[in-house]
Formats: sequence, structure tokens, C-alpha cells
Amino acid sequence: MITYPFQYKRAGSISEAVALLAEGGKALSGGHSLIPSMKLRLNAPDALVDVGRIAELKGIRLDGNELVIGAGSTHGDIASSGLVQQHVPMFAEGAGHIGDPAVRNRGTIGGSLAHADPSADWPAMVLAADATIVVEGPSGSRSIKATDFFTSMFETALAADELITEVRVPVENGARMTYQKFSQPASRYAIVGCAVVKSADGKVRVAFSGVSDTPFRDTAVEEQLNSGQSATSVASGVSVMSDHYASEEYRRHLANVFLKRALNAVA
Amino acid sequence: MHNQVIGKPISRVDGRAKVTGKAKYAAEFTAPDLLHGVVVSSTITKGRITHIDTGDALALDGVVKVFTHQNRPKLAWFDMSYKDLDAPPGSPFRPLHNDRIKYNGQPVALVVAETFEQARYAASLVKIEYAQEPHETDLQHHLDTARKPASGLASLLKPPPPKARGNFDKAFTEAPVQLSTGYVHGFEHHNPMELFSSTVVYGKDGKLTIYDKTQGAPNSQFYVSQVFNIPFRDVRVVSPYVGGGFGSGLRPQYQLFLAVMAARELKQSVRVSLTRQQMFTFGHRPATVQHIDLGAQPDGTLDALRHAATAETSRFEDYIEVVVNWSGALYKAPNAQFDYNVVPLDQYTPLDMRAPGGVTGMSAIECAMDELSYKLGMDPLELRLKNYTEEDPNEKRPFSSKQLRACYQQAAERFGWTKRSPEPRSMREGHTLIGWGMATGVWDANQLPARAEAVLTVNGKLRVSSATADIGTGTYTIMTQIAADTLGLPLEDVLFRLGDTDMPLAPFQGGSLTAGTVGSAVKIVCEDLGKELLKLARKMPNSPFAKAKFDDVFFVEKQMRLKADPSVRIDLQTLVDQNGGRAIRTTATSMTNSLKQGKYTRYAHSAVFVEVQVDEDLGTVKVTRAVTAVAAGRILNPKTARSQIIGGMVWGISKALEEETVMDHRYGRFMNHNLAEYHVPVCADIHELDVLFVEEHDDVVNPLGVKGVGEIGIVGMPAAIANAIFHATGKRVHELPITLDKLM
Amino acid sequence: MQTATLPTPVTQPRSAPPEPVGTGVRSFSLTINGAEYELNVAPWTTLLDALREYLDLTGTKKGCDHGQCGACTVLVDGKRINSCLTLAVMHEDHQITTIEGLADAQTGDLHPVQQAFIDHDAFQCGYCTPGQICSAVGMINEGRVKTDADIRELMSGNICRCGAYPHIVDAIRDVMQLNPTAQ
Repeated sequence: MITYPFQYKRAGSISEAVALLAEGGKALSGGHSLIPSMKLRLNAPDALVDVGRIAELKGIRLDGNELVIGAGSTHGDIASSGLVQQHVPMFAEGAGHIGDPAVRNRGTIGGSLAHADPSADWPAMVLAADATIVVEGPSGSRSIKATDFFTSMFETALAADELITEVRVPVENGARMTYQKFSQPASRYAIVGCAVVKSADGKVRVAFSGVSDTPFRDTAVEEQLNSGQSATSVASGVSVMSDHYASEEYRRHLANVFLKRALNAVA
Repeated sequence: MHNQVIGKPISRVDGRAKVTGKAKYAAEFTAPDLLHGVVVSSTITKGRITHIDTGDALALDGVVKVFTHQNRPKLAWFDMSYKDLDAPPGSPFRPLHNDRIKYNGQPVALVVAETFEQARYAASLVKIEYAQEPHETDLQHHLDTARKPASGLASLLKPPPPKARGNFDKAFTEAPVQLSTGYVHGFEHHNPMELFSSTVVYGKDGKLTIYDKTQGAPNSQFYVSQVFNIPFRDVRVVSPYVGGGFGSGLRPQYQLFLAVMAARELKQSVRVSLTRQQMFTFGHRPATVQHIDLGAQPDGTLDALRHAATAETSRFEDYIEVVVNWSGALYKAPNAQFDYNVVPLDQYTPLDMRAPGGVTGMSAIECAMDELSYKLGMDPLELRLKNYTEEDPNEKRPFSSKQLRACYQQAAERFGWTKRSPEPRSMREGHTLIGWGMATGVWDANQLPARAEAVLTVNGKLRVSSATADIGTGTYTIMTQIAADTLGLPLEDVLFRLGDTDMPLAPFQGGSLTAGTVGSAVKIVCEDLGKELLKLARKMPNSPFAKAKFDDVFFVEKQMRLKADPSVRIDLQTLVDQNGGRAIRTTATSMTNSLKQGKYTRYAHSAVFVEVQVDEDLGTVKVTRAVTAVAAGRILNPKTARSQIIGGMVWGISKALEEETVMDHRYGRFMNHNLAEYHVPVCADIHELDVLFVEEHDDVVNPLGVKGVGEIGIVGMPAAIANAIFHATGKRVHELPITLDKLM
Repeated sequence: MQTATLPTPVTQPRSAPPEPVGTGVRSFSLTINGAEYELNVAPWTTLLDALREYLDLTGTKKGCDHGQCGACTVLVDGKRINSCLTLAVMHEDHQITTIEGLADAQTGDLHPVQQAFIDHDAFQCGYCTPGQICSAVGMINEGRVKTDADIRELMSGNICRCGAYPHIVDAIRDVMQLNPTAQ
């Protein structure tokens, strides 16, 4: 039950969605981030623009050396996609562990990225994969590097009148990758989610969800690892969250454990 | 009784209704022009309401009324009228009584509208201002205010701590091996899957039919009748299906009061359902602090035992549990001392939650015994057997039956306990530590009086009813079995109905007493019906039953037969046909045989053996397998009984490892009041659970010899898990639940 | 034996709600268990509330209303979803299946998962059961289950407070004819 009235508008195309968003409101895709937050009144848009039926937002394809995932793809679509399993297996692995199966059948990658929950799984994965998030707004389309996308807790570089249309992930031959997470036992959000991509040349990219109020690439650790040192500086320079499930100290411990497990998985 | 179906694994007779979605729960009944009520909850913990603005809410289309303490109708004045049949001593909470806020989440307004959506939206627009006062909610910080609880009617089923025996201080001081230890657990909430709801159907004559979520329809009827001063006959409470209770439905919850109040004021049908968040705004298992001292000889013989517990209660009622008594009944320590106190705090009164007090006390004593076993260098099972008693040391009387020794033996054998390596941290696979632990369980086998009605219809079908409940326990099924066997009818010819105050009175469903209590009533009423049938048979011309007494006949295959010559038989249908075209109807009351029962201590017992795996890096614990052997008298239906025990074991895993309502004491507010943060087990958390029923004969507990199995499954589990974790890790955690941070 | 019949489609909500503030009641139809239902509800009505409050299809349960318990699981185009986390209006043109639509409407024969739940006593209070059964049917449709561990993991969106999990796994394994010792 949502506790307040709002308008419901349905968009048939990306351009229609952008036009409707210009009138105010928020895009509604699977609704699995937005509707719970509206029920809790953490979000109270006057209008919802249903983008769930826009065919252009669906589908997963290869475009040159990029895998292009439509923003309306559900976590379940991504987990079971042969193209994803072949070219960006971490995404299939990670998507298969988001929430529970009913959530994976409705929740979409675009919706999750736009919501930018610091404990969601996609942020760490798109950061480590060095993905690009393509958005469409009144003045056309623009591409935002994942590293520039997450600005703070629940905040992104996405403007209110923009719609995420696709996620473009570079396909690296010979790269190994993994997403390892320690789930909050009831909700299965990431207490710590660690994504690691190891290129064919042995260089690694490391990103974390759940650790800090903003998901981040751990460049300090990357530097250590890429210069042959051991990773001693996990999550240095970020403020680590502390809550009932995991104190700051325990979260740091978990970040180290899961980085180690991730590095073993790509070794 | 000729047992054809009793003792057989019969599938639930209500199964089809439940798997097709046809079973209707309280919020699923409807009425013409039904109004919807939504509750507004207090956001402060203690203080006064200074201002309520309902203007915005009332301005919305469809909003009918906003009830607050300022405009509620005049109701019963005296506390006594608000005491339901399970009320502890004190002054019960009255919703919308005045401007006082007694706890966080207290209902402060009810918004009634034509649709649920309108009511929910309007509720969000009610503005309430408060004057806050300092609150106290932290048990651990207020232990100095602990005092003896007041006693009242509730103490009938909840005896006070046993009298001290011997000289504890001297024996403890002189004991060669001493252990002083303590255990703590926090708040827990029942969280049945069904949200508390009441649908109050307002009849043309002002009579109410109330579909309520309750473990005892008669209790809801009693409460409504008292509070609103309505005669019993004008309040009918109906509750055919209950989506879980675990104790939460033992007392009427505030949605019942609010829905009835609104329906009577508006002269229209009203439904009020709580939200999941509001499910955390009434009774809970109380946070409890326990201390145990054990003094033993080097061979393990206990000389001295002290068990003290301090639990929280509300400012307005003294809720009590039986926490410390079990230790004294289980082990024969000649010098023993017991103490139980409460600390009143600014929160709602606690409420019985599955194995109330039992799982609390046993979790402590059985961990303490484990600690002692390591101190002694003795196998934990050996230590239990060393101190095994055939007589209840608290009351100096025998047990009506006690097959605990067989439970230990059979469960240990099934588990493979002898292969255990005694040293902590001695079993591992890679970075996974493995631990084996065990514990004992005890629970009451009480019987209360109950009534039932039996009708043999003109078509030869048996209809039996009693105003009891089936909260998932299998009552529908076992009562059908009892009735079927008593009168020799096939299951499909028997219909048992429950959960309706138009039916004969039965106690609420709780304390594992329904099988013995209502089962006895069903048996007796069916026997009485059998006697009526015999009367009819005797009156028949040239009846071969003319001189038969009831003891001379038995019922099988839809017939009455002579024991002395089973070829002398008559169809029950033929007998009904003798009744002038009328059904045969009997009503009976089963009384308890207090004289006989009072000479014995009546308990169900269990032995639990558990294996855990602990991830050394993360501190995560997995209960990989558990074996529970249960001695609970006669098992009426091994299928539903096994489900009860398994459910209890899952609850034990939850209590040991997962569930806890965490309060932010700065605000006096529960923080994790939703199912994403209040962790209860899901399918992935549960692995191999094995249940053994140990044969036990008991002709004292009740005419059926059953002890009930609702609670015994949980009682020993948490301690067995905690003990296995110690065996795995060498770390003794004194606070439940054992979450990962406590193991790192 | 009771016969499972499809509920009679209703053309109006039981009491027509007044026009909500600032938005419009929308009229649309939903296809549920093969039958068309006309709805006139505010757009913020969830699919769960539409089923329970307006269509009298109360087999689908409300346990948390926040997508945390799975009691409201229904099948949309064969896929299991939480009906509390989606708006009714989003499901025009979809095939919705609820617990009321699983048994054979003509013969009353139960769906194999329903029958297995009875046979294995895979429930107690019955409140989570419609969601568990719909979830199991959806999971079987997904075709990924090979072991007990898969069942346990993929059924973990549905809480059973009574703790019937071992029997739920038994029931599903039985329907899928999996080997209980498969790893």
C-alpha cells in the first residue's frame, strides 16, 4: 500500500518517457527500488512514468567490443543471458544473487542504478567493469562513466529529467572477473560486495558496494595490487558504514576477507 | 477406543482449503459497505499528546471519521473490564484512553474511510504533537529496580520459583568444582505471517460478528463484552483459520478494540488490519538476564544449583514467565536456590511467545551444564545422566512419565555422538570449524477443562465442534481422528469445526495443551454420543444389546459391536434411524482429574543433538544437522506432530542465531521492525532436521495420554546450538542470538 | 471434496471508491486465472490490494507489504513476482495466475505442487502457503533446479514462520522427481 496519491503515466517510447519526465515525476521500471521507498515515504514523486513497456529499453546485445544491456533488463534477464555469461560473467553471477527470485523477475538494472542504494550490488559491478551508463534527457543522450555516476548515498549524476537507457560494458578478452558478497541475512542486500576484474595483462580493478555510503573504486588497493604489493589499504580514505549488522571494524574485516576471496577467484 | 486412525500419519484435513487459497483468515471476510480503519502510532515513547490535528485527514473524500482519545465513546471505567482471560496482574493498556503515551508505537488514532487506500493516506495526514518525558527501556541499565512480580490468576499455570532446598551457600562454597555464569537475550517478536486484523460485521440489530485473529475466540468475545458492555449473545467471534500465533494471539490486540469501537459508533462494518511495523507494537518475548551457579563433585554430581532470572515488563502489568523452575526439576542438586524478578520499563507488556520461559530458562541451564562439563572434563551427556532424576526435586513427587533417558540414548545414537572428539576446535574442514553440542528440553503437559458438542446427523455423519483454535498445530486433523476412532467412523464421515464462540467453550490454544484438553473433550462427547446410541439400540425390539452396558460395546466400521461377540453388531445409521428423524446431539465437558494429576509432575521431555559449521573468516554459523528425540506421551498424528517439532527446531535455530528486536534506547524505539531486518530463518538457513518420537505411556496427564508438542521442539535447541558453537570455536557466547560479530 | 472453481469475474469493485484527490481512478482490466476482471481503482493500488480488496481473490496473502516475506507471490506471465511491490495498473495485458487458478477449474484436481504440499505436510498455519506454492511453480518454470540446495536457495524469498521448510523441500523435490541425495 502506497500511502499517498500520485499520477500514473505510461510511456511507449524513450522519447515519450523523456517528454513525460520533463513534466515532473520519476521513472517507474520494475518498481522494486522505487515502490518500497515510496511505501516508506522516502520518496514521494507526484507522478510515475511507467517505462516498463518500452521495447527499446529491453534486450542485451554485443556492439563491437561492448556488451550493451538495456536499462529495462531485469536482474533475472541478465543472470540468464548467454551473452552476459560469456562476455561479462561477473554480471550474471552477481545478478543471480540479488534479493530473491521474485525480486530478480521484476527489478531492473536501470532502476537499481538510478536508485543508487549504497548496499545494492550493481554499483560495485559496473564500477569494476568500467562500464558506461547511457542516459537520455531533453537535450539528447549522454554517456556517464560509472566512476562519475555515483555521487553520494542515493545520489547520482542522473538529472531528474533524464532516463537511463542502457549500460555499456567493455568486453575484455582474457579478463577474469568475479563479484563476491556477504549478504545481510534477511534482506540479502550487500553488507560487503566486492567486484574484481583482472585484465589479461594482470592488472586489477576493485570496487566495493555496501562498505561506504557511496559505492567506490578502491584505487589505493588497485595501485598496491598492480604494483605487486599485497592489499593492506582496503577502503582507506572512505568512511566505512556501521550499523546493527556490522560495525565499522567488522565491515573492514569483511571487506578484506571478500577482497581476498575475490582475488582468489580471479587468480 | 479402537484405533484406526489415531497414531497414523494422516494428512491435514484442512489441507485442501489451505493450498487452494480458500481458507479465509480474519481480514478476508467482508460485509456490505465495509469501512477500513488504519491505525496511527505514537512516535514518542513516553509523555503526553498535546495537540491533534485531524483537519487534513477529514477533508479527504471518503474519510468517515478519525477517532482519538478526545472523541472516543465513553467505555467501561474499571480496569477489571479490560482484563482479558490471559491478562497478567496490573492495569491493562486501554487504546485511546487518554493523552498519556506509555510506549513507542502506541495507537493514538484510528482513521476510518470508505477504502483502504483513503484511510491509509488520511492516516499519514493526521498531525500529532507531543510533550515528551524521559523514558527507561534498557533492562540492563535498570536491574537495580528489579522486584518480585505481583501474583494473580495467571500464576495458576505459572507457578512461582520453587522453594529453596538444603543450604545452597554452604554447598556452593564447599563444592570442589564451581561455575558462576550468566546469560542474556534481548526482545523477540512473534511475527506470525498473518497481520493482526479484525473484521467487525455490524448486524442490523447491532449484534456484532467479529472475524478476529486470535488463539482463543472466547477470549476476544469476553474482552469485547466487558469493555463495551455488550451481552455475550450479541458478540460472536469467529476465527476458523489463524495465520500463525506463537502466543501473539493469546490476548486480544488493539485492532480488535479499535474495530469494534468504530463499528459501534458508526453503526457500520469495519475492518482494521495492522501493518508489519505495527506487529512490533504489542507483546513480545521479554529481554531477560540470568545468572546460574553450579557446584559439583569431580565426578559431576551436582551439590549446589542457583538459578536467578530478571526480566522486563511494562509499567502497567506484571508479565511473568516460568524461567528458573525447570533447572530445579531437571537436576536433583540437593542444595538449590531460585529467584525471579521483573523490571518495569516504558514499553508494552511482554506476552507468551513459543515455550515462554521454558526456552529462556533451559537455554541458560543447559549452557551452564555444558560449561560445567568442560570444567569437569566430562562428556556433556554423561553429566546429564549423572544428575538424572526420576523424581521432581522441586515438588518431591514422581513424574507422571519421563522417558528422557530414552530420548538421550536414541537421539545420541541417531546423531553418532560417540564419534565426537571432546576438545573444542578439534573438528574442522578447511576454514570451517565443526562443532557438536547437545541439550535437554522440558515443557509442561497441562490439561484444562473444555467443552465440545457432537452431532450424529440423520445421514450418519458426525459433526463435532469446540471453540478452540488451529493456529497451524493440526487441531482440525487430530480432533477429527479422535472423533472418528471413538465412534468407529471413517475420517470422511467426520467434520470437526472450531474457532467460533457459538460453539462450546474451550480454552485458548497455547502452552501445548490443546491436544490433551480439547482432545479429551472430543473423546468424552463422542463417548456420550455412543452412550446415546447404545440407549437407542437397547430400546430396539429383541435387541441383542438389551442388557449391554457401555463398557460392553465398541465402535468400528460405522457399527456398534459387542466386545464379547463382535458378530453382534448394528450399523450406526440404523441407530440414527431409530431417533425419529432427528440427529443425535450431545454436549460434554472434560474436567481435569486434579486429585490424581496433582500427585505428579507432568512434563514432556526432549534431547537435542546439533552439528554446526562455523566459517572462521566470517563468523557465520550453519546448523548442518540436528536430531531431536521427544517423549511426549502418545503421538496422535506423527505427520503433524513431526511438523510441530520441526517448526520448534526452526524456531530454536532462529532464537540461537537470528532473531532479535533491537531497540535504540535513546528513542525507546525498535529499529528493525520489518522482515528485511528482523531476521527469521528462510529455506536456505535450514538443513537436515531429524525427529524421533520415543514411546511413552502416560495415563495421568489426560484420558488420551498425550502431552502436546507445540513447544517441546524449541526448548532445547538454542542451548544445543550454543554448545555446538563452543565446541567448534572454543568461544562461549553468553548472549543470544549468537550473531557473527559476537564470534569474531 | 470441494471443487476448485474460478471466481466469478466482477465488473465493479464492491463499493466504488470516490474520486481520489488530484489523480484519476483508472479503469482497466486484468486477466487473472484466465478470466477478465474490470477494475476501477486509483493508480497507487498495488496488485496485491487489487486482488484482495477489490476482486475478493484473498488467496494471495499480505504478510509485510514490502516485498520481504513472499506471502503475496503470484505468477505474471509464468514468472513469480511479489504482488505487493507492483501496481495493478502496470499489469494490463499480462497473464496473472494466483493460487485460486492453479487447480484444474473443471475437474477440481489439484496442481501437483498443491497435492505434494498436502502429502508432505509442507505447511502449518497455511498463511504463507499460497505464496510458497506459486513461488515453487514459478521456480519449476525457471528450470534451473537440480538439487535440494538449489530448492533451498531459490525458495528463500518466501518466509514460513511455522518453519515447514524441510517439508517444503520434500514436496518440491517429489514433484520434480529429483534424487534427494543429488549434490
